[in-house]
Amino acid sequence: MQQLSGRPLSETDQSLPRMLLGGSSCCGEVGDFEKVVRCGSMATKKLRRAGLSQELCDRLSRHQITTCRDFLCLSLLELMKVTGQSYQNVQKLLCKVSLACAPKMQTAYEMKMKRAINPSSAFLSTTLHGLDKALHGGVACGSLTEVTGPPGCGKTQFCLMMSVLATLPISMGGLHGAVIYIDTESAFGAERLVEIAGHRFPNYFVTEEKLFSMTRNIHLYPELTCDCVLKRIETLEEEIISKKVKLVIIDSIASVVRKEFDMKLQGNLLERSNFLARGASLLKYLAEEFSIPTQIPGLQHLCLLIVFPQQVWVILTNQITTRLNNGLDVQANIVSPADDLCLFEVSGASGSKDQELGYVTAALGNTWSHSVNTRLILQYHDLHTKQVLVAKSPVAPFAAFFYTIENSGLVLQDGKDHPDASWEGCSPILQAIRVRTSILKDGFPSATADTVKLEPPI
Amino acid sequence: MQRDVGSFPLAPGLRAKLIGAGFQTAEELLEIGPCELSKEIGISKEEALETLQIVRRECHSNATRTTGEPETVKKCTALELLEQEQARGFIITFCSALDDILGGGVQLTKITEICGAPGVGKTQLCMQLAVDVQIPECFGGLAGEAVFIDTEGSFIVDRVADIATACVQHCQLIAETHQEEDFQKSLETFSLESILSHIYYFRCHDYTELLAQVYLLPDFLSEHSKVQLVIVDGIAFPFRHDLEDLSLRTRLLNGLAQQLISIANAHKLAVVLTNQMTTRIGQSQSMLVPALGESWGHAATIRLIFHWDNKQRLATLYKSPSQKESTVPFHITPNGFRDVHPPPSSQTPAEIEINPRKRPRLEGENQ
Repeated sequence: MQQLSGRPLSETDQSLPRMLLGGSSCCGEVGDFEKVVRCGSMATKKLRRAGLSQELCDRLSRHQITTCRDFLCLSLLELMKVTGQSYQNVQKLLCKVSLACAPKMQTAYEMKMKRAINPSSAFLSTTLHGLDKALHGGVACGSLTEVTGPPGCGKTQFCLMMSVLATLPISMGGLHGAVIYIDTESAFGAERLVEIAGHRFPNYFVTEEKLFSMTRNIHLYPELTCDCVLKRIETLEEEIISKKVKLVIIDSIASVVRKEFDMKLQGNLLERSNFLARGASLLKYLAEEFSIPTQIPGLQHLCLLIVFPQQVWVILTNQITTRLNNGLDVQANIVSPADDLCLFEVSGASGSKDQELGYVTAALGNTWSHSVNTRLILQYHDLHTKQVLVAKSPVAPFAAFFYTIENSGLVLQDGKDHPDASWEGCSPILQAIRVRTSILKDGFPSATADTVKLEPPI
Repeated sequence: MQRDVGSFPLAPGLRAKLIGAGFQTAEELLEIGPCELSKEIGISKEEALETLQIVRRECHSNATRTTGEPETVKKCTALELLEQEQARGFIITFCSALDDILGGGVQLTKITEICGAPGVGKTQLCMQLAVDVQIPECFGGLAGEAVFIDTEGSFIVDRVADIATACVQHCQLIAETHQEEDFQKSLETFSLESILSHIYYFRCHDYTELLAQVYLLPDFLSEHSKVQLVIVDGIAFPFRHDLEDLSLRTRLLNGLAQQLISIANAHKLAVVLTNQMTTRIGQSQSMLVPALGESWGHAATIRLIFHWDNKQRLATLYKSPSQKESTVPFHITPNGFRDVHPPPSSQTPAEIEINPRKRPRLEGENQ
């Protein structure tokens, strides 16, 4: 595999056994994020290719100015000093370098025409009719869609379903392309994939040959550390072209982040934000370049919880701990939003509002929420039914749909039997989410779902 | 004439040579010709000529300035400014409550910053403004064009098309109630295709591209002189994760702000920026504040903060030199940015004449 970050091959090979030993190998090498160079970025374009003369480039490189980015970051006076040119000439040079870096202009009309030529590839239909209608077609190409929800809601099922759909021919609503599935939790099950395909499209997958060709088109990459995930995203550009990929799924971003960044350490906050923001911008770049849908399921708990007053957090913990403590000694970490909070002490489970919290930090929720374009939340309704909410979308209003998980994947339910199907929506970062609070009650799986209501911070 | 040689915009090496040869003031420099100059300080004849031309040009403009003809320095009285301000239009937002607290709408020649949590409607407002700036003058608009610089990738053409269609319908309904010729004529040019063709879209993937684009913006604006609105959607995004060096970031942001202010003034257009929110951790609580730090707060003249209150979206005017701080609710509908409650429809015909963009609300309308 091509080495893009410049590290020798042996180091990367060793990263696997190191990580299996449980060490957080990424934490020590956190500075490497900066060394990872994004392919295709205009910023790192060499000045030579921007049209500057060789002599000038040599002179500039003596001052360590080699890329367009370095050039544009200097002030006019500094530029005069390093180039030895007059004010007017420096302005002309700036113009030249800017022309080399600046994006091309399109009018909105041209963009619309481009979309109109290829209407079917603007969205990937989810075959969940109500959801498709709300989203104006389905999962949008060219932007990031996030699927989030508590564990067990069906995020991986949704991804498996979308993988099958992407490989279908265009006449059936698919994209007739390959799928790249970056799996960080080893949740991908090939048998389940085949089961979904067979039950959902029984008329299409009649022969084994069709099933095999579908599975051949889904490329699975298990990655277990942040660094590996980032490097994998780097190489995606070439893979997408060579394998004719139409759908990229990352399942899930949260688990690698949670594993490696201990939120109790203050320094890790910045690194974590940087990693997420870097990942988001890389994926956005890829999505736009290739106009493929990019899906990221899975902050298992919510990146919706950002800043909250102490009372709310206390309520959350208490509901869960007291329920679980009925006969079972289970840790509250099962649904801990440790991604988003840094707790030092949570004393007791009495529900009192005066509990001290240490301090709360909000980086993941806030930064990440700004980065994704569409957010779908999966949550529990009762034992069998679950709900999918469209929480953030540039084209869709707030909407909620019920579904169940069956052999064929996710199946939407009619809203008629459920009285509270309406949803006015609120801030996507503060959406209350129904979690499954009781795992076992009297020895049987029980189904109470509590709504965790969050109050806005200000 | 007594201007110091070192103060001219010459190359530093050249400057050093001139000072080394003993030239101190411009007068001394202008006495000799280019060939002599080149021999004396050891530069080529072309360079010498260029130097003399620069010096002459600067001195000339200095001279005209001192003789009392204000060529480059603009000087006017407050009365002239008042007349200019009153004649200047605003870009309406279609939410009359928001327009009211802004004093009529988004102002030209000023930078307006919109901060807010993700998903609250900043990009929706930007798309609405990009359409509203193109409303023809007879309907109360500016008949301008818009530049949209996108750093986050949240510009969706289909959504802009929906907003534009709703705006065209709104204007058509007004034209029907007024029955005047110029209304019909301007409606012919105000269509979905023309609206979309006059939104100039740039997609910047990182801060380098953003810097480059803002450097090139004045040239672009000279070619497209009808542009009255520049939107930068997501000024915070490229600066928040890529830059480790905070002092560099502050410097670049300040440079950007200055360039945008000078563009806004020189071309008489409005600049709208959107910013993200970040968390400030206090002693016992944490609050959401606009991102990019305190020093960035000085860049924008007018600051709007969008936030939630349970299920209602609110807009707060946080900073303005002429309007007072207030909060209004707003809605995002399939037609775009709108009021929560429609304005009172009890308007006399005379009022309707004055304000052509308001029309009487019909029953059962979806607003």
